[in-house]
Amino acid sequence: MTAPATTPQTESKQPTLIDMLRNIITSQEGVLFIIMVIAVLFLATRTDKFLTVDNLLNQGRLLTEVGLVAVPMTFIIITGGIDLSVGSIFGLTAIVLGIAWQDMGMALPVAIVFAILVGTFAGFMNGWFIVKVGVPPLIMTLATLALYRGLAQGLSEGASVRGYPDWFYELGQGEFLGVPSQLWLLLIAVIIAGILLSRTTLGRTLYAIGNNEVAARFSGLQVNRYLLFIYTFSGFMSALAGYIFVSRVSTTRSDMGTGLELDVIAAVVLGGSSIFGGTGSIPGTIIGVVLIQLLKNGLSLTGVTGDATIVVIGSVLIFAILVNTFIQGRKAA
Amino acid sequence: MSKKTFLLMTVLVLMLALFIAPAGAQDEDRWDGADDLDVNPLACPMMDGEEEMAEEDMADEEMMEMPEYDGGVAVDAPDLAGQDIVLVDVPKLIGIGYFAATTQGMQEAAEELGNVTVTTDGPTEANIDDQIQFIDNYITQDVDGILFAANDPVAIAPILRRALEEGIHVVGYDANSEPDAREWFVNQAEFNGIAKAMIDSLASEMGEDASFGIVTSTFTTPNQARWIAEMWAYAGECYPDMTWLETVEAQEDATLSFNQATTLINKYGEDLDGLFGMTSVATPASADAVTQAGLCGEVAVIGLATPNPMKPYVNDGCVQNVVLWNPIDLGYAAVYVMRAIVDGELQPGDASVMAGRLGELMVVNGSEILLGLPYVFTAEDINDFDF
Repeated sequence: MTAPATTPQTESKQPTLIDMLRNIITSQEGVLFIIMVIAVLFLATRTDKFLTVDNLLNQGRLLTEVGLVAVPMTFIIITGGIDLSVGSIFGLTAIVLGIAWQDMGMALPVAIVFAILVGTFAGFMNGWFIVKVGVPPLIMTLATLALYRGLAQGLSEGASVRGYPDWFYELGQGEFLGVPSQLWLLLIAVIIAGILLSRTTLGRTLYAIGNNEVAARFSGLQVNRYLLFIYTFSGFMSALAGYIFVSRVSTTRSDMGTGLELDVIAAVVLGGSSIFGGTGSIPGTIIGVVLIQLLKNGLSLTGVTGDATIVVIGSVLIFAILVNTFIQGRKAA
Repeated sequence: MSKKTFLLMTVLVLMLALFIAPAGAQDEDRWDGADDLDVNPLACPMMDGEEEMAEEDMADEEMMEMPEYDGGVAVDAPDLAGQDIVLVDVPKLIGIGYFAATTQGMQEAAEELGNVTVTTDGPTEANIDDQIQFIDNYITQDVDGILFAANDPVAIAPILRRALEEGIHVVGYDANSEPDAREWFVNQAEFNGIAKAMIDSLASEMGEDASFGIVTSTFTTPNQARWIAEMWAYAGECYPDMTWLETVEAQEDATLSFNQATTLINKYGEDLDGLFGMTSVATPASADAVTQAGLCGEVAVIGLATPNPMKPYVNDGCVQNVVLWNPIDLGYAAVYVMRAIVDGELQPGDASVMAGRLGELMVVNGSEILLGLPYVFTAEDINDFDF
């Protein structure tokens, strides 16, 4: 990774290549990636159970839900917005899935689609109020954080739905080509979202909104349409993650996804998205998600207890952001 | 655009349908808050002369209900009989008094045994996913045994099954999983045992013809409904002169519990001899209501509760009996059970297990080990507990 940058002989012939490499390494994602590599190497020296294919694939299974929700959250944070209701939509979807199947007598595949539709609609409601009524995203989604969770609890009446047929668990607990099934979904979502954000009008518009929403409007961009889309998309991905989670843990409870929003926002912000909008990327977010999961796992394997682990993760979050601010600041100067 | 609107309307209507469906389904009006399941009241307190018969009854009962072992088996577990073992304890959450007490019991057992190391580690919130990840990591670490208190009996099952497949012993305590996902479960108290302790406490405080009301969470909450059903059955059998006035719902809300208890006090006045609190919220709230009504000593408050919130009422004499189990003993027993499994002293089909200072503990329900009778905290010992 660092080798080419320090090799002097290519300097005179291809200065542009070095510049490119330096740009990559000193970019937000590059710095973060190096921090991740250091963390992984350090953890690997502490225990031989960490850097194994089985363990890493297993961690992939566990981080999928956060990863899926982090994708639309990156979009939203880039526009300067926030969605705090993702965990509640996640829980609501889980409950609706269980109830639609067990109490309303829908066939399970129909119930799955229905539940994801309800979750998507919940996201659409967020977007609609934010765009049409002008409620600030923080306030709107804080309200629906409580509202959707309340709905989930009311619907479930405190009971959980269990006893799904075996095929239902394939997505959450099964494997496809040796890799946990849900990881494929995450991979597809990440590739599509990455292209959307960096190569299309949609992506450029989101950055434009984040940098200056008023200017974006006066430039003739369909700001409202895009905002409505990303909040609806967030509802959809939260719902999908909720469905995968139910499949993984084989039961439905109304408290599922509690606190998910914080895990997701932490990963997105760690990944270099500014909470004020305008910056951020999908690769950064994914490195953020992976770094947090590997730290949790690796520290636990080296015998660090749960309460100490969250302290370390908090410190790494601050450290990574400080290092990045420092490096980006020097680059700008 | 109109097509879109139509689609949205459809979704909206479907969402509405969701709310109406369950609302229509629960029209049942249960005034006593008990469930419909079978009850199994314990024998009445033994009088002189009746002793022999009562014992015979109990023997019969034991013969009758000795179901097959329905727990799981650790696959190809290494033989570590008598050797040092490393255990991990993953409670529902850490940082609360209750699980600090179970941890304390585990450390006491580990110290006594000398060849057990047990570490408690778990989520800081009672979150099912976090708990699963903790267990997952400890399986990767290859510990010899896992002790758990499940946040959800079904959600935790797949990961526990994987532990068993990898030859790791699994024992539950406090909150069970599906039986085949662990080997044994240390059951802190059976429903009928709690019911008996509650009703007996009332009888000893206010006499065998006491009239009482109940403050519960909701009529459909599984544990509470079960306890009430067992209390109903036990009181009917052993204290036919007791009068069951009314059961009121109070969610698990302190203010609502207080109001409901006050309503019962005002409604029944002189007739009310006792109040049962069925939740750890309702019991202190009921005690508060009785204190504020100035009826200490005239209306007994008995209930399930943890010691700390009850200390003020017990110390000033307004409440005499707080029913629960001893979580220190619970953790202590769990470690002994684990050691017995590893040493081959507890095997499927056994009827009891030795657990250090607790003596011999009985196997119930196939693969559960009963901690014993519920623990009744009184003014004498409640200050020794901190949770």
